[in-house]
Amino acid sequence: MSSYFRITLMRSAIGLPRRTHDVLKALGLKKRMATVFHPVSPSVAGNIMKVKELVEVQEVDRRLTKQEVHLERKPDPGYYVEKRSGTEMRESRRA
Amino acid sequence: MMFKPSSPLFSGLLWKIPWRLSAPQKARQRKRLRGVDRVVDTVSAALERNGYTTKSVERWYKEMPREEEMLPKDKYTLFDKKEKKYRKGIHKLPKWTRVSQRVNPPGF
Repeated sequence: MSSYFRITLMRSAIGLPRRTHDVLKALGLKKRMATVFHPVSPSVAGNIMKVKELVEVQEVDRRLTKQEVHLERKPDPGYYVEKRSGTEMRESRRA
Repeated sequence: MMFKPSSPLFSGLLWKIPWRLSAPQKARQRKRLRGVDRVVDTVSAALERNGYTTKSVERWYKEMPREEEMLPKDKYTLFDKKEKKYRKGIHKLPKWTRVSQRVNPPGF
């Protein structure tokens, strides 16, 4: 089973050597708090090791879409919409 | 009394870097060291699970001490041949919060 690296850029590479910027570009990290997914492989691991001081890494089972990553950070709205019991029942039956 | 020229008196604006780190700075330094350890551990575990090995990770484990294995001396200071007692604060290292500086010459 293949897994993925979930890489988030926590510290910017401003003022660091050109090579460091290039590694981040190769990983697809353009700004702070950006998250990318790459399959676990030695070359990606080598790239992560080059910028290990700047990123946070997790191993995950699948790539999340950009929207899913965004939704993780979305705060709880603090309310919920009540529905009529008939509508709720029809929805649950369809699911 | 004669005017004694010293750099803060001699020029106007002069940034003075304290010679040692404060306690919160040292705490944050330890946190960053642990963060790097965590990244390397995650990468290594993921590679192992998928049956790969990588030279850079192996080399890191062979050469670099972990945060808990390091002496306070190596966490907060680094070797400098021009200093008295051959040590200066790690915050004198350019970009010190974003580079790994863990080992020093043996005997210093």
